[in-house]
Amino acid sequence: MAGRKGREGEMLESVYSVLALVFILVACVELCDAATVVDVYRLIQYDLSGVPFGSRFASLNHHAGSLPFAPGADLSRTVVIIPVREINLTLIRDCITQGKALGGFLLLLPQKLSPGNRKYAIERDRSQGKELMRNLLFDLEQLLIHANIPYPVYFAFEDDKINTVLADVKRNDATGQPASATTGGYKLLVSTSEPKKLTSPTITNIQAWLPGLKADGDANQLPTIAIVASYDTFGAAPALSVGSDSNGSGVVALLEIARLFSRLYSNPKTRGRYNLLFGLTSGGPYNYNGTQKWLRSLDQRMRESIDYAICLNSIGSWDNEIWIHVSKPPENAYIKQIFESFLNVAEELGVKVGLKHKKINVSNPRVAWEHEQFSRSRVTAVTLSELSVAPELLESSGGLFDSRQFVNETAVTRSVKLVAESLAKHIYGHQGKKIQIFADGSSLAVNPFYIESWLDLLSRTPRVAPFLKKNDPFILTLKKELSDHVAEVNVQHEVLDGMFTFYDLTSATLNIYQVASVTFDLLLLLVLGSYLILLFSFLVITTRGVDDLISLFRRPTSRKVKTA
Amino acid sequence: MTVFHFFNCAILTFGPHAVYYSATPLSEYDTLGTSVKAALVYLGTALIKLVCIATFLKVPENDNFDPYQELLKALIGFIDVAGLYFALTQLTHRNISQNHKFQAVGLGWAFADSVLHRLAPLWVGARGLEFTYEYILQGLEANANLVFTVSLAGLVSLMWLRKNKPKTLIPIIYVCAGILATMPSITSYLRRETFCLETAVQWWKVKPIFFTRGFSVECNCIAEGSPSSQCRMLNASKQTLSIHIQISNCRF
Repeated sequence: MAGRKGREGEMLESVYSVLALVFILVACVELCDAATVVDVYRLIQYDLSGVPFGSRFASLNHHAGSLPFAPGADLSRTVVIIPVREINLTLIRDCITQGKALGGFLLLLPQKLSPGNRKYAIERDRSQGKELMRNLLFDLEQLLIHANIPYPVYFAFEDDKINTVLADVKRNDATGQPASATTGGYKLLVSTSEPKKLTSPTITNIQAWLPGLKADGDANQLPTIAIVASYDTFGAAPALSVGSDSNGSGVVALLEIARLFSRLYSNPKTRGRYNLLFGLTSGGPYNYNGTQKWLRSLDQRMRESIDYAICLNSIGSWDNEIWIHVSKPPENAYIKQIFESFLNVAEELGVKVGLKHKKINVSNPRVAWEHEQFSRSRVTAVTLSELSVAPELLESSGGLFDSRQFVNETAVTRSVKLVAESLAKHIYGHQGKKIQIFADGSSLAVNPFYIESWLDLLSRTPRVAPFLKKNDPFILTLKKELSDHVAEVNVQHEVLDGMFTFYDLTSATLNIYQVASVTFDLLLLLVLGSYLILLFSFLVITTRGVDDLISLFRRPTSRKVKTA
Repeated sequence: MTVFHFFNCAILTFGPHAVYYSATPLSEYDTLGTSVKAALVYLGTALIKLVCIATFLKVPENDNFDPYQELLKALIGFIDVAGLYFALTQLTHRNISQNHKFQAVGLGWAFADSVLHRLAPLWVGARGLEFTYEYILQGLEANANLVFTVSLAGLVSLMWLRKNKPKTLIPIIYVCAGILATMPSITSYLRRETFCLETAVQWWKVKPIFFTRGFSVECNCIAEGSPSSQCRMLNASKQTLSIHIQISNCRF
C-alpha cells in the first residue's frame, strides 16, 4: 500500500518536472514576426592614423522618423529614413557638424542601383538625371566618409514595402508628434554585436608571368613589359562597393589582354622577344600600398628588366578621349616612344589620347596614380585612365554610384584594343606600319562577351581589401583565370599598412515592426476590464437576481448586523 | 509592452469563461468536475473529428464552393452533437439539476475549445513586437464561441434529457440544433458570398492606432421550449436576441 503510494508520488513528481520543463521551453519560443525584413548595408567605419571616421555604432533599436523634422524635437531615439533622391545635403551636413543627437540614419538608394537589378541598358535620354544622381551620390559619399558619426548609418534599396513604411511614417509625422513609445508607429531593429577592429587585414597581389621567345645563344635576359591594374575598391558602403569602373574595367582589360597575348605567345613562331608581366594588385585606394609591396618583393633582376609598365585605371566610361598620365617629364625618350605608339593606334581607332604630367613630391606620402609607385622604384611607368585629374585620397575608388550601369563595354573594348595594338607594335617592331593584329573578326579579335561577363561578375562582387580574406573565392577566381592563360601565376599575401584601421560588420538585416502605443494597451485593458465586470453583473442579475449582486457588496456589514 | 498585449488578449479569450463560472450558480453548486470531464470529452471529440476530416475530405485545389465537401463537413459537425450527448448523458455527474448540468458541460466544452484552438497562436504571436488586431479578433471569436456552445449544449439537453417536451416545439428544436451544428459551414459559405468581412479585416490591419468599426453582425434567434419557471436563464434568453459576432478565422 505504501509502496504504491510512493510510486504514485514519484510519478506525480516526474510529471510535474516534465511540465515545468515544457513551460520553460515554451517560454523560449520566439518567432520572427516582423512586418518587413530588409537587407541593409552599414556605412564604413575606419580610423586613419588614429582619427576615427565613419559610423561608430552598429546596433539599432529605435522608432522611425522622417524629414522634415520639427525644430527642437528630440530625435535621440529616432532613426531618420531618407530617400537619397530627396536628400538635402546641407541639412545633413549641418546635422553632422553640429553633432546633433540622433538615433540613426537609414538612407534609401534608388532601386536602379541595386545589384539584383538586371537592366543594364544605358538610357541616353535620361542621362541628365543620371548625372545629377551621380554627383549627388558622390557628394554624399565624400561627406559621410570624412565625418565622424556617433550613431549607426545604414543604406538600403528602395522597394515597395519600405516605401509604404516611409509613406506611413511621413503621414504620422505630419500630424506633429514624432513617434515614440506612447504614440505608436514603426520600430526599426538591427540586432548585431558591437563592431570590432579587423586585426592585420591582408592584401593579396596576383602576378602572372608570360615568358617571351629566348633565341638559342641569347644570354641576355629578355626585356619585360608590365601591365598592372589594382582590383580592390573603397566606398561608403563596403558591402556595396563593387567599383565597376574603378577599377573593374581595368581588371577586365588586363584579363583580356592576357588572354590575347597568351594566344599569340602559344605559338613559338609568333612569340615576341619580350616577357610580359601581368599584375593584379590590391591596396589601390590606400596610396597603392600593395603595388609598392609587390615591387619591393620582386627579384632585383626582374625589376631592372622591366622596360616600362602600363597601369590601367578606370577605362570603362570614356567616349573619345583618354589620358596617359606620367611622372617623368614628357621629353624623356622612353615616354615619347610609348606615347607615340599610343598616338598611332589611337589615330587608327579614331580616338584622342592626351598626355598629362604630374611631378612626384617625394615628401608627400600621397600616391595618386599607380605609376608613381613604379617611378619611386626607378621603373618607367604610365597610367592609362579616363580621369583627367588625379583623384584625392579615397576618391574614385569605387563608390555608391559606381555600379554596372555606368560602365560601357565598348569603352573597355576600345581600351583593350588600344593597349594591345600599341604593345604589339612595340614588341614586334611594327612602328609606323599600318598592321592590325587584333583586327575585328579575326581569331585574335577582342571578345566582347568575355569582357561583358567579367564586368558583370565584377559588378556583383564587393571588393574592399580588408574584408577579402586570404583565400576569398574571388581572389582564387582571378588566380585561376590567369593560370588558364599564363603558366606561371604567383599569389603574394601582405599586411595592409598601419595607417588605416578597419572595423567589421558591413551588412545586417533590419526588422521593421509596426508597434502600437502603450496608451493603446492601457485603453484596451480598461475596456476589457469594464467588459468583464459588465458581463459578471449581467450574469449575476439574470441568474441569481439583483439582490444577490447587491448582497455581494453588502455582505460584511450585514454579517456584523446579524451577529450583533 | 508585448507581454501586456498578450495579457490583454488572454483575459479577453479566457476571462468570460471564468466570469461565467463565478457569476452564475455554477460556482455555488461546485460543478467544476463536470466542466473538466466535458473538456476531456471535447478533446476526444476533436481527435475523432480530425481523423474523419483527414480520411474523408480532399484538399481543396480551387476556391469554389464544393457542395459535397461542405455536406461532409456539415455531417462531421454532427459529431460535435454526439460528443455533447455523450458528455451530458453517459458520464456520471454529481447530483445537479438539468439546467446547471448543460451549462457546466457547455462551459467546459467552450473552455477546452478556446485553449486548444487559441492558446498556442496567442502565446507565440502576441508576445512579439509586431502589433496586429488578429488576437483581439480571436478573443472576440472565443466569446462568441462560448455563447454558441452553451446554446448548443442547451439544445442537446432539451432533445435528450427532457422527457416532457411540448409537441409543437420538437421540430424547431431539432432544426435549430441542426443549424447550430453546421454553423461553421454556413459561415464559410456566407463569407465567400459577402466580401465585407474581408475588407473590414484588411482595413483594421492598416490602421493599428485608430479604432474602426467594420464587422458585420449576424443575428440568430434561439427558441427555447421549456415553460418551467425554474430556469430563469432560458426565460431571459427568450426575450433577448443572442448576437453572434463572427469575424473571419475559419474553424476547419
